[in-house]
Amino acid sequence: MDTDSAKVRLGAVGIVAVSLFLALFARLWFLQGIERQEFEAASVSNRLRVIQTEGPRGRILDRNGRVIVDNRTTIVVTLDREPLRERVSGLDERDPEDLEKIREELSEEFESTAAALTSLSIPTTAEDIWERYTDKRYSPQEPVPVAEDVGEEVEQYFMERTADYPGVLVERRTVREYPYGSLAAHLLGYVGEINDEELLARGAEVPGSDEEPATTTTLPGQEPKPYEAGDSIGKTGVERAYEQDLRAVPGERTIEVNARGEMLDVVSDTPPVPGEDVWLTIDIDQQALAEAALAEKIESIRGGRTSDGMDIEAPQGSVVITDPETGEVRAMASYPTYDPRLIVNGIPTALWEYYQDPANGLPLNNWAMQGGYAPGSTFKPITALAGMQSGFIGPGNETFYDQGVYELQNCSGGKCEFQNAGRARLGSVDLTRSLTVSSDVYYYWIAENLWLGRGAYGETPIQDTAEQFGLGSSTGIELPGELSGRIPTPQNRREAYEANPEAFLTGDWYTGDNLNTAIGQGDVLVTPLQLANAYATLGNGGTVMRPHVAFQTTRAIDATQPPGEEGNYEVVRTIEPEELGSVEMTPDQYGKLFQGLLGVTQDPGGTASSVWAANPTAWPFAGKTGTAQVRDKADTSVFAGWGPAVPGQAPEYAIAVIIPESGFGSDVAAPLTFEILTPISEGRVDPVCPLVEPERSECEQDKAAAYERLAAATAAGGDEGDTAPGTEEP
Amino acid sequence: MHTSTGRSSTPRVAARDLTAPWHHVDGVLAAVVGVILVMGSVMVYGATRYTEAKTGLVVRHVGFIVVGVALGVFVATVDYRRLLAWWPFLYGGSVLLLLGVLTPLGATVNGTSGWYRLGPLSFQPAELAKLATIISVAAFLGAADRVDWQRLAVALGLLAVPLGLVLAQPDLGSALVFAAIALGMLVVGGVRLRHLVALGVLAVAGVALVVGSGMLDDYQQDRLSNFLSTDGQSYNVTQAQTAISSGGLTGYGFGEGPQTRGGFVPVQESDFIFTVVGEEFGFIGSGLLVALLGVLIWRIWRVAQIAADSAGTLICVGVLSMFLFHIFENIGMTLGMMPVTGIPLPFVSYGGSSIVASCVAVGLVESVHMHRFTR
Repeated sequence: MDTDSAKVRLGAVGIVAVSLFLALFARLWFLQGIERQEFEAASVSNRLRVIQTEGPRGRILDRNGRVIVDNRTTIVVTLDREPLRERVSGLDERDPEDLEKIREELSEEFESTAAALTSLSIPTTAEDIWERYTDKRYSPQEPVPVAEDVGEEVEQYFMERTADYPGVLVERRTVREYPYGSLAAHLLGYVGEINDEELLARGAEVPGSDEEPATTTTLPGQEPKPYEAGDSIGKTGVERAYEQDLRAVPGERTIEVNARGEMLDVVSDTPPVPGEDVWLTIDIDQQALAEAALAEKIESIRGGRTSDGMDIEAPQGSVVITDPETGEVRAMASYPTYDPRLIVNGIPTALWEYYQDPANGLPLNNWAMQGGYAPGSTFKPITALAGMQSGFIGPGNETFYDQGVYELQNCSGGKCEFQNAGRARLGSVDLTRSLTVSSDVYYYWIAENLWLGRGAYGETPIQDTAEQFGLGSSTGIELPGELSGRIPTPQNRREAYEANPEAFLTGDWYTGDNLNTAIGQGDVLVTPLQLANAYATLGNGGTVMRPHVAFQTTRAIDATQPPGEEGNYEVVRTIEPEELGSVEMTPDQYGKLFQGLLGVTQDPGGTASSVWAANPTAWPFAGKTGTAQVRDKADTSVFAGWGPAVPGQAPEYAIAVIIPESGFGSDVAAPLTFEILTPISEGRVDPVCPLVEPERSECEQDKAAAYERLAAATAAGGDEGDTAPGTEEP
Repeated sequence: MHTSTGRSSTPRVAARDLTAPWHHVDGVLAAVVGVILVMGSVMVYGATRYTEAKTGLVVRHVGFIVVGVALGVFVATVDYRRLLAWWPFLYGGSVLLLLGVLTPLGATVNGTSGWYRLGPLSFQPAELAKLATIISVAAFLGAADRVDWQRLAVALGLLAVPLGLVLAQPDLGSALVFAAIALGMLVVGGVRLRHLVALGVLAVAGVALVVGSGMLDDYQQDRLSNFLSTDGQSYNVTQAQTAISSGGLTGYGFGEGPQTRGGFVPVQESDFIFTVVGEEFGFIGSGLLVALLGVLIWRIWRVAQIAADSAGTLICVGVLSMFLFHIFENIGMTLGMMPVTGIPLPFVSYGGSSIVASCVAVGLVESVHMHRFTR
């Protein structure tokens, strides 16, 4: 071996070694000195997980602080289909043949799960589980519920045997509790899992989608509350309208995890902030009264015949009671109803189909604001006012002789004769009398003359007045899905025709159309809520208030105490009454309407006098019956009014009742109104008790005691005055 | 040339036998190995303390160090020339062990049949074979003045047999170590340049032929292409770089590295132990370790220079090539400069065979250093 050559070659090895070490140092410095921040961020996202912790949703209280929507924990057995799908990978669920194969393949799993549930006294068949497995209402990734509201022993059973029941999960969920059952179900609405659209609208990302979330907008002064997939959100009613208040601010727990995702440490923990409690303007006792009376009325008349011989179907009905001074809704009843307790874990398929079938009266609809009906004669005060505002009816006491039939002045073919219901001859009527006795002919007379004199009065004096009352457009109530109704005008008739000439006979407006509109027929559509609000406006002297169902939101001070207890809450937000506009009336014009409508219940000739005559409400009530004709069906029975109707005294209640296909207003809606208003006017509405224990028993006892005291007081008679307060024997 | 002046003794030490081996221990080499071993033990502890299944490993690691150091000291005291004389037995024995590991006697871990299981211990014959091959090639090449093509062919054969057997396990990492040893020893051993160039061309052509001909099984092909491709960095490399880089200048401190605590880097106690150093001690700590490893290489290189004979030089060059490849490949892969292959960082990674073999290798170098004046 040549020594010199070896030294040279060894030197070369040394140079290689030095180069390699320099490369290592350079790279090390590059990573640790220059690129550090970038990799540090990667390290942080590696090990820190942010978990959203849900807080309790705010409760819903009635105006007196009684909890009508609460929260409770429920245990649900669900089926995660992912692990099962892996067993049948390659089979396509959309292909019926494959679907049958999947069923066979998994039948053993379903059988064993069903057997386990049955042994835990939850009778279940493999068929039931298969139905849930293929249920289209759940997204494929979402576990489907197979048994709801199960006991802790069921939870424990499955927790201990996870390996035996692949895909079976047991979850604890917080769900809504309804202490009063289905009471006020439509108004309260329900919650459900947030969908993709709702996520995007609230600035949250949809898993597995590239769509950009919206920039969120909220009420001024309120922070947007974050959402993520799987969260609950209000879908209808108050739950949806007050979502921003009811929603809890989720807490954020940051944990450090290791490579296997196991928790090492809690880095930070911000607890959730419970949602605010929403106080409704509803009086739960009055709501219960209205609902029970409505249901009883409808169920008792169904299957019978109207006084003009039509079959009574009465597929639905509604009652709306508001405070005319503030627009606060006191009760809002819609029939038929549904039980929100059945859908806290999602709506089962069979139930959903039942709800969607029109034959069942569409119980999810809140007909009180989603039903549009011809108001019939309850529209007459508006026509009357239009007649006065236009100047056609002067301040003098013009009368018109009602012969039961009205003939058009210059009839050029078509229908020339219009008549009262049953061609009743009502004789000489002035404006006040026309309301009391509900003369159609009087309003035909006004309507024809307003149309013939449209050069002077304009084309739409009646519609303009209706608009002042807020008819034909939504009332602005905060609840979602309100129907806006319709007041026909020559212009919108023409527009509708031009947009779709096939659907209409004509785009022209005839005198007859004016006549029909004048008596709330033809194309006039109002919701019970709009009608109640219009009569509230009449009752308060002409101010249009925005109807609303909640007046404040609060936060409980001591979470363990009832949220509605005096001194245990602080007000977060107050919802003030809101004036939307006013109706122009002179005192004289108002007085005529007032007297006419008061006469309906008070005057012996009033259309509803027979209802009130026997046993009048504790205070005078002004109102109007309506009987709207619907082709080939029984009439829509309508009543609307307000009370106390005492000049100079603020009215407390406005009410509208509409029951389609049920007959005359004076036969159905007026008596129902009377049944509801009598106890209210007398201040003796039967208190309603919650359905849950122990509250139910306590409430029943209190109630019994109250009745006893009442009975004792009645028996004691005049002696009562002698007993000093506080000395009463228990 | 200062290397061969040791014989011009000064009067002060003339009274003693200056050729006695224990006077010529390379203290720096021994010390640097000692420091790296201590650092390694600390890092193994740091890497395993959070995983329940691994908590006993540091004790075993220290046990291996004790055994390794004892064997290393023993080997150092034996004159390397006697070991060179035994080379046929060492070589034959290690080839037999490499053959045996391919039979059912060997244990398969992660698809590689490279271990013998002896109760709780396992033994990797490739580590022993590296040393046996170094000694054998040193003995064979060191005995000749010139390396003609016949001699080159025999030396290549000596290297090719264990390389082929290791590749058959298949253990690409160890095979590459053999290739690195071969390259270093042949270059320094006096192979002519034109032979080297021809060899290089042959090697490239051979690899191309083997890969292209479909002689390899699919999984072997996969491994090879995985090894060579650096695009689309694997999870391991990403996590390793994340750990090292986020350590910054000074690191998170011992036991504080989040990546280490969370066990995000796989096998962080063995092949990826450098990530623990980088994350918890930063540039200062990892730079220091690289520097110490550099000192180790420098000391071995120095012994190669001052060795008494060419066989001694070749032993040192073999060991140097082996360590250099291990260090650069191991640290390089954690830094994302080199493809990932499972070879340990000498003296630092957890692993009995590696620790013992590395200590014995340093023992060999010390032996060359200590016996350079003995005849």
